[in-house]
Amino acid sequence: MVFSSLFFLYVFLPICLVCYYLCKTIEQKNIVLIISSLVFYAWGEPVWVCLLVFSAFVNWFASRLIGLFDVEWRKKLVAAAAIIFDLGLLIVFKYSGFIVENVNAVTGLGIPVPNIVMPIGISFFTFQAVSYIMDCLWGTVEPQKKYINFLLYLSLFPQLVAGPIVRYSVIAEEISNRKIRVVDISEGAKRAMLGIAKKVIIANNLYAVVEQFFGTDITNLSFLGTWYTVILYSLYVYFDFSGYSDIAIGLGRMFGFHFNENFNYPFICKTISEFWQRWHISLSSFFRDYLFYVPIFGKPRKYFNLFLVWFCTGLWHGASWNFIFWGLYFGIFIFIETKIGKKRLKKWNKVWTHIYSKIIIVIGFGIFYFTDLSQLGKFFMNISGISMITNGNEFADVLTRDSMLNNLFLIIFAIVVSMPILQKIKYFFYKWGNNVVYAVGQIGGTLICCTLLMISSILLVDNTNNPFLYFRF
Amino acid sequence: MDNKEAHTDTGRKRKKGLNNIPRKGVEHGFAVISLMITVPIFFTAVLLMIVLPRPKVSEIEKRKLAEMPEFTFDSYFSGEYTADVAEHYDDTVPYRDDLKNVGYSFKTSFGIHTEDEVKVVGKPSVVPKPVDDNKNEQSENTVPDADENSITESQQENESSAKESQAEQSKSESSQESSEEEEVTVENGIIVVKSNGHYRALELFGGGSGSTYAEALNNFHKDLGDSVKIYSMVAPLASEYYTPSNYSDFNASQKDSIKSIESKLDKDIVSIDITDVLGEHKSEEIYFRTDHHWTPLGAYYAAESFAKAAGISFKELSTYKKNDMEGFVGTMYGFTGDANLNNDPEVFSYYTPDNIDKCMTYYYSTDFTYTGKGNFFNGVGDIRSAYLTFMGGDEQVVKVKTNIKNGKKLLIVKDSYGNAIPGYLFGSYEEIYVVDMRYFKLNLVDFVKQNNVTDMLFAMVSYSAVGDNADNLENLRTQVKGKKIVDEGLKDED
Repeated sequence: MVFSSLFFLYVFLPICLVCYYLCKTIEQKNIVLIISSLVFYAWGEPVWVCLLVFSAFVNWFASRLIGLFDVEWRKKLVAAAAIIFDLGLLIVFKYSGFIVENVNAVTGLGIPVPNIVMPIGISFFTFQAVSYIMDCLWGTVEPQKKYINFLLYLSLFPQLVAGPIVRYSVIAEEISNRKIRVVDISEGAKRAMLGIAKKVIIANNLYAVVEQFFGTDITNLSFLGTWYTVILYSLYVYFDFSGYSDIAIGLGRMFGFHFNENFNYPFICKTISEFWQRWHISLSSFFRDYLFYVPIFGKPRKYFNLFLVWFCTGLWHGASWNFIFWGLYFGIFIFIETKIGKKRLKKWNKVWTHIYSKIIIVIGFGIFYFTDLSQLGKFFMNISGISMITNGNEFADVLTRDSMLNNLFLIIFAIVVSMPILQKIKYFFYKWGNNVVYAVGQIGGTLICCTLLMISSILLVDNTNNPFLYFRF
Repeated sequence: MDNKEAHTDTGRKRKKGLNNIPRKGVEHGFAVISLMITVPIFFTAVLLMIVLPRPKVSEIEKRKLAEMPEFTFDSYFSGEYTADVAEHYDDTVPYRDDLKNVGYSFKTSFGIHTEDEVKVVGKPSVVPKPVDDNKNEQSENTVPDADENSITESQQENESSAKESQAEQSKSESSQESSEEEEVTVENGIIVVKSNGHYRALELFGGGSGSTYAEALNNFHKDLGDSVKIYSMVAPLASEYYTPSNYSDFNASQKDSIKSIESKLDKDIVSIDITDVLGEHKSEEIYFRTDHHWTPLGAYYAAESFAKAAGISFKELSTYKKNDMEGFVGTMYGFTGDANLNNDPEVFSYYTPDNIDKCMTYYYSTDFTYTGKGNFFNGVGDIRSAYLTFMGGDEQVVKVKTNIKNGKKLLIVKDSYGNAIPGYLFGSYEEIYVVDMRYFKLNLVDFVKQNNVTDMLFAMVSYSAVGDNADNLENLRTQVKGKKIVDEGLKDED
């Protein structure tokens, strides 16, 4: 089920909310959440819901063993087995086709390519399971005693299919002991409504423009047209994914859970390292904590691990070479930035660092978009201006001009919202200290959110197909 | 921070009431108020979605909306059932069309509007420069088998779809998939152009040489011999005349395609090129601005050209009765979602001949099962469907018996463009048969022979002639051969 669908908003969610708030005890509420989550997942994956339940069982059982064993090597053995199981699932369901294709390409063996449809959200819940097992092994969390509680953690529908990758430690306490305050419900609802608006009003409409230019052969696309489209695509991915995270965090809060933030205005960064501290935080911190600092093949090797992390980050996004290039591309810039050093980077003129980082990021999203490598090659020719010489492409074209005019306010609005301006306004109303100002902010904010929800719902009437981008990862 | 706190203090001293309550209490209080606003709004929407009647068709999109699926274990485990339930719910939102209108209007606020604005829908790409015929032949010969599949698919869709617009949409999708093939890059996106204060939607033409079409017509000629005179009249799309010059790179010349067809047709087939005739009248309303069809006036000039070529009598437009229907907004609004088109309706004018009362129209299903007699020009319930005035649409076979006694029988093989033509020929033929090239289920050669048709007119728009639709023509010639065709309608004749 997709959050940005009328069926979710006006059928699934109200039933779930009513049942949830009618229950008195946390145990009952948890049952409602588990049933809702399994229904939510089974709606899209009527078969693979069993895989989710089974995976939860295996990981829970492993964590129990880790908790029971005293001897370190036994704990490690169990943890290794669980992680092999988790990554094995990922490899089978997500990467087997890709691996076989590449083996065939290199060796010339005609191994039949398995046609496995990836269960939705497997990348997310598998990583949650891995983080949990590692935390149990390191003793940073207490293994969950009840399977049902662990199943709730892994399947909790707000974050099940497209993140954020919630660490067990973040909600361990809240699973069995949480207070649902009115403020949480109200703020959570507003956050979720904003998320839906980000997705439906901004992201979907930006994507329509992107598809117009990139969704067809880009051989003749002008220099300006390529830049224009890839900038809109970057904005689109941000609004699509951060909108989803907002809905997840908002719904979580309505149920009494407090997830960590997944985005922190990534486009205001000055360096690529900073970008990744602000973009999909739950993923970058996952790789930092569970891969970068972990000694693999003996002692930790800083640069090897750095490129390993970025290789994996890329690969995580999809079984396609362009994603691997995309990860390594960022790895290279982060490597360069590490070599230059933070102090020296800080001394650089801010205008230049902003321009530098935005160009790198935006081109990065071009790599992210084109899974077809021949199209990706054309993209580089266009964006660098080379195709103006080699193919006679224009500098600017009439389609780009008219598209800019037709979407001018949408684009300006998207850029403004991608910066922490709304946050500052909210902060103003909240921190001013005057309760009247606060009241105006609260009621005004609520009315705006309700209006946005209504507009989004109306726009959804025309949307037969608008899945979130991160569903495929 | 100090400043802020100082401000807070003065604020507290100055204000009374609300400001005396501690912040935590205020937060709680306003969270409650906030929920008191949100919850009723949300649950009212939930309730309205349940209580209000759900539409079954969309007039804007001209299609049946998704129905509630039937439960089977197979469909459940494949995920189809749940997906279809959600689709049914999302598709049949109460007041769907009205809500869509609101949504489209909202979207017009995304940009700035100028006197000569152009809005682009779809994915237009620069059309290839004209290539010589030898090259064309080569590219056609190398059309892969996969293409055949897509043709059958689109045909099946054609058959199952209730409205032709859907068939056209599916065609555009399949043409996107195989855009490499010269034959099928027909549709090239839509532009909505503002000109002289009015909005006009134009389907850009991707080009094509129409070999399949020409070959099929030649085969018809072979099968039918010289006893039946065959005419080919391909109508250009409005984009031939109204595309702004700065978009000309995205719009192939339809005259070139029509010429290319002409060059491939047997000498005995009469090709009628109406591009210049319509061009002379382009300042008149020969194409709808909001619909993908030409106007009945445009069809009149085309019919006049046909009459000249066929050497038949033809009546002046002044002898017809003009009927006006105000407030017409056609299919292009649904295709583009551009509210400007909806806000700029036009007049749907059609012309009835003076001998209309002496003519009788007999209706048959697409397999020529007689369904009853009626009028050729029908009233339509919804002005948006005004083009259904002619015979009520495409999915039937029609026979018109006129009061003319000259022994001439015409068969019009057409897409929806052809619907507007027969009405101008009621004074020229004794009988006129009309079949749609996308839906007719019998063998057309048998049909022509058994009904003693004397003239056969292929009248369709350029994208049907050079696109996937043209593949149906060969099917019409070869399908269900040798069946005896019985006209049950004869019993009903006076």
